[in-house]
Amino acid sequence: MNMLTHSAHDAADAKAPERTHLRLGFVALSDVAPLAAAKVLEFGHAHGLTLELCRQPSWSAVRDKLLSGELDAAHALYGLVYGVQLGIGGPQADMAVLMVLNRNGQAITLSNRLAQALREHGNLKRALATLERTPVFAQTFPTGTHAMWLYYWLAAQGVHPLRDIQSVVIPPPQMVDTLAQDKLDGFCAGEPWNAVAQSRGAGKTVAVTSEIWPHHPEKVLACRRDFVALYPNTTRALVRTMLEACRWLDHPKHRVDISTWLATPELIDVPRELIAPRLLGDYDGAQLSKPPLPVSFFDGGAVNYPRPSDGLWFLTQYRRWGLFSGAHDDAALASAISQTELYREAASLAGVPVPEEARADVLCDGRMWDGRDPAAFLGSGNLE
Amino acid sequence: MLRVLLVTDTDKPIGDLRQALARLGYDMLAEVATPQALPKIVESQRPDVVIIDTESPSRDTLEHLAVMNKTAPRPVLMFCSDANQQLIRAAVGAGVTAYLVEGLATARLAPILEVALARFAEEEKLRQRLAQVESELADRKVIDRAKRLLMDRRKMSEQDAYATLRKRAMDQGIKVVEVARQLVSMADLLK
Repeated sequence: MNMLTHSAHDAADAKAPERTHLRLGFVALSDVAPLAAAKVLEFGHAHGLTLELCRQPSWSAVRDKLLSGELDAAHALYGLVYGVQLGIGGPQADMAVLMVLNRNGQAITLSNRLAQALREHGNLKRALATLERTPVFAQTFPTGTHAMWLYYWLAAQGVHPLRDIQSVVIPPPQMVDTLAQDKLDGFCAGEPWNAVAQSRGAGKTVAVTSEIWPHHPEKVLACRRDFVALYPNTTRALVRTMLEACRWLDHPKHRVDISTWLATPELIDVPRELIAPRLLGDYDGAQLSKPPLPVSFFDGGAVNYPRPSDGLWFLTQYRRWGLFSGAHDDAALASAISQTELYREAASLAGVPVPEEARADVLCDGRMWDGRDPAAFLGSGNLE
Repeated sequence: MLRVLLVTDTDKPIGDLRQALARLGYDMLAEVATPQALPKIVESQRPDVVIIDTESPSRDTLEHLAVMNKTAPRPVLMFCSDANQQLIRAAVGAGVTAYLVEGLATARLAPILEVALARFAEEEKLRQRLAQVESELADRKVIDRAKRLLMDRRKMSEQDAYATLRKRAMDQGIKVVEVARQLVSMADLLK
């Protein structure tokens, strides 16, 4: 009887979605777990949605297919959305961040030789000097989160990411091979690729991204802004579905369960044993200077609110590294991207509390990021 | 002469795209097949145009070079101001992405893309036709086997056998080939 009243209540609250079949893009990474859970357990069916997961070979492919309409929405790097919105190195389009899918959970891996040097010298700059050539570091997309974590981490240790090292982009599934072939000195990427590198003996995890910015925003659920305008009920139902999937992932046992699915060839195609531990926050064998915060998908709803100020942080970094310049209304740009109103509606339907708008954190270089004052952050302690 | 680099790290056949471009007088650089090799090649060989499969994992590597390095080839279809969504959709569908050095005359770009697009589109059409012909052939074989079974065991004429299959298909609301498949697999079971 309880179930009956519940579904009657649902029907009254939620308007029928305009679209019932949605194609969602993703890249082979452990933090695709919310999409995997939503699909495996069909959380969408209760809200009139059937999800189809479409693995993409590159972030460029995710972008192009979102723009062409071949994908309806995608698991995307926070910075990819902003890159497209600003037209950095590619097409410009009005984009939407529907919700944050996860925080934390990325890492920096160094080659064994460099990790050893870091341990001996206790200082990255001196460790890099032992290479006696320009170090090569890889990340995953020019405007992406991993590029920004890597640059921030290097700069915090006095290494200029554009002058003192060579930065290249390598697709995450090929990072480990490239490192093993001695063509890289380190990389920043999502899991399970850092875990794979360590288990193959190609390198050591030396930092997790929660050290750089505790609870940093990472992957988002992204789509074109006109998709939101055309299909508001569908989008709301999708956010609600993904919130339920994220909530399900809060339980440690469920993270173990989903690892089995993530390990399949259709999703990541890496053994479950290399996926599950780090999803649970177990970084056994890593050479970390601070205890890691595990990847978070929900945390009572604290993870998922698409706070516009999270996006502003990326704009400060694009300006810092010369990817973006000139006078723009950054705050207006971020507000237009973050679909806060739609998120609040979906969260209320799903019974998920919305966290506070204001947020401040201390980053790895000791600087305070206060989302209400991005200019102060940009102005302080620049490495130029 | 325009220097063209082909990236061939997907299993999609590119057929004689390379030869076609060479015949048109383009300087075809040695192709690369891994993202690891790309940055060095772009730096040392300085291609004017990079043609790459949309599904290539190396695309992010190229994007990064384009953003960070002014002399690296930049995405074109995505980059030029008149790139409308329809054009991007067509290119994505055809499996072609071209990257070109900024400032190169667009008049010189058009034929390259036309050729590339035409080749891929033609091959795509051929592949689809081949697949269609093959499946039609397989369907016909199954139907023939089912007819033969009915003719042998029920002593039907060929026409009656076919009529029986058709009637059953109509009754069940499925294709004749499905009925034939059911019949053949049942017959295999009863052997």
